[in-house]
Amino acid sequence: MRRIPSCLFLGVAALICIYPFAWMFFSSFKTNKEIYQPTLFFPSDYEWDSYSGLWAGEFLSFFDYFLHSILVSGGQALLATFVAAGAGYAFSKISFRGSTWLFGVAVLVILVPKQALAVPLFEWMAWLGWQGDLWSLALPGAASGLGVIFFTQVFRKVPDELIDLAKVEGLSPVRTFVILLPLIAPALVTFCFLHFILSWQEHLLPLLMLDDDNMTLPIALAKLRDSSHRIPESVGMAAATLSLIPIVFLFGLCFRKMKTALVELSLS
Amino acid sequence: MGGKTGFSLLCLLGPFFALWALFWLVPLGMGVDLSMQSPDFRPVHRDKVLPQNASAPNSFTFLDWRNPQQEMQENAPRYVGLDNFEKVITDSKFHKALSNTLTYVFGSIFVILPLAFALAVNLHALARIPRGILVFLLLIPGLALPGVLSTLFYLFFHGRTGALNQYLVIPLGFDPVNWMVDPSFIMPSLIIQSVWRWTGLVTLFFLCGLEAIPRWQFEVARIEGAGAWVRLRSILFPGVRHLALFASVFLVVDGFAAFSGAYNLLGGSGGIQDSGLLLVTYVYQVAFPGGSGRFDFPGAAAMSLLVAPVTAFLLFLLLQARKTFFSR
Repeated sequence: MRRIPSCLFLGVAALICIYPFAWMFFSSFKTNKEIYQPTLFFPSDYEWDSYSGLWAGEFLSFFDYFLHSILVSGGQALLATFVAAGAGYAFSKISFRGSTWLFGVAVLVILVPKQALAVPLFEWMAWLGWQGDLWSLALPGAASGLGVIFFTQVFRKVPDELIDLAKVEGLSPVRTFVILLPLIAPALVTFCFLHFILSWQEHLLPLLMLDDDNMTLPIALAKLRDSSHRIPESVGMAAATLSLIPIVFLFGLCFRKMKTALVELSLS
Repeated sequence: MGGKTGFSLLCLLGPFFALWALFWLVPLGMGVDLSMQSPDFRPVHRDKVLPQNASAPNSFTFLDWRNPQQEMQENAPRYVGLDNFEKVITDSKFHKALSNTLTYVFGSIFVILPLAFALAVNLHALARIPRGILVFLLLIPGLALPGVLSTLFYLFFHGRTGALNQYLVIPLGFDPVNWMVDPSFIMPSLIIQSVWRWTGLVTLFFLCGLEAIPRWQFEVARIEGAGAWVRLRSILFPGVRHLALFASVFLVVDGFAAFSGAYNLLGGSGGIQDSGLLLVTYVYQVAFPGGSGRFDFPGAAAMSLLVAPVTAFLLFLLLQARKTFFSR
């Protein structure tokens, strides 16, 4: 009996989280007039116009931007994961002079987030002539201070015996690191996924770096809801629904591994 | 330590520090350099990238060499020392943005952490499968693009008929709130947005912390006949305190970088009376002002650099808090 309030609490929380997305999905079929009555849930009529409009590139070439977003976020996430894992391994398992100092320097990245450095970064990219290029989005932010901390913690949990064994076998630290990677697969997947979300959601840098024919999804979504109301609201809803699909799919794939990695990390 | 180890170290640390130097240190250095330049000085490469958006109202042709304004630009000294910092520190709009951001960060933390802890404790009592499904559902808002928020704007905050008014404010007997127009409610709606987004992720962290608590501790509590309060205080809370610290650091860093949510809700402005003006939004406004065509990059750079000590101070406070409250 005393479980009921607890279940109610969780149910309401889950409903608050899910309801807007369900509303968003159904709104992609609605007319503007129906969308402006937010308490209306189901549309009167199911028309796929907004999806076919997006597919045909009627308003903007939405699927190109979709691809840009996937390339930028995926590339940055993979790069950030392996680069941070390498650094984390070096900091936790190899003792060398200046290691503490270097670690402190690497972690400084956290203090000045890349969004705060957007303006000088813009200058730097303009000077390099990379402005407008997808690389100018993927590379900044690939050096993640949080990632170095995360992987230093992860590698601390790997027993030293394994590394000694590798040393006896005459393997170089780099080979040892590569061999250890499958062992920390859950942590790799977790970090890669978290970084993917963060760069998937990045709004400011693409807004500065890219021009109109080279956008990413967040910018495209903001464009679709521009103040002139030329574009039916349902198109924005359809685009938002589509933007959610890949990430929820990825999340479904990673969810188990993520939980394993997080539980292991907090066992201390 | 032979040459071989040195080479390995280079392979392991090299990529990270190469990216670090190129995309963090260089921009930081350029930011410092930029922050001391005169706003009237415009290097050539910037003109190459900006002309199409430069819809200056006082637009003069670049060929008109007698234009006094251009002459002033040419003669303007390149460096002005700390003037930009002085300008920013005395700028009342900057103070507004800073205090708004602090309200936003602390408001979110103080709502999210207890809420997520309550959710995690309740979830922990469930069986495995419903627990997994519920956590998955709770996390979805954190996965969505902040741009999606702009579409949900209609659902939650839309005038009188929005869901928040219809389902919460009016049934409780209050007058409907005009969320985006009333200056005293813009900040709460930004915080609601942040809470809605991040509570799920923090809940996941906490839940994993709770799952890592060894089973015997609960056994002991049961045998000793400990009440719910003691169980909460001496078993469940210690299980999540390190994660609470990690989550707070994450929220502080993310809160200071917050841009997208406010940009979508308020369309790049600060909202009525700038009551929703966040730091990064203001930096963006100063660097790329809408129609005025006056790109004050140095001012924006000085502002960005002033963010760093504030974040550093906050993180330092958090670490101090950990020493006094958490390590017992």
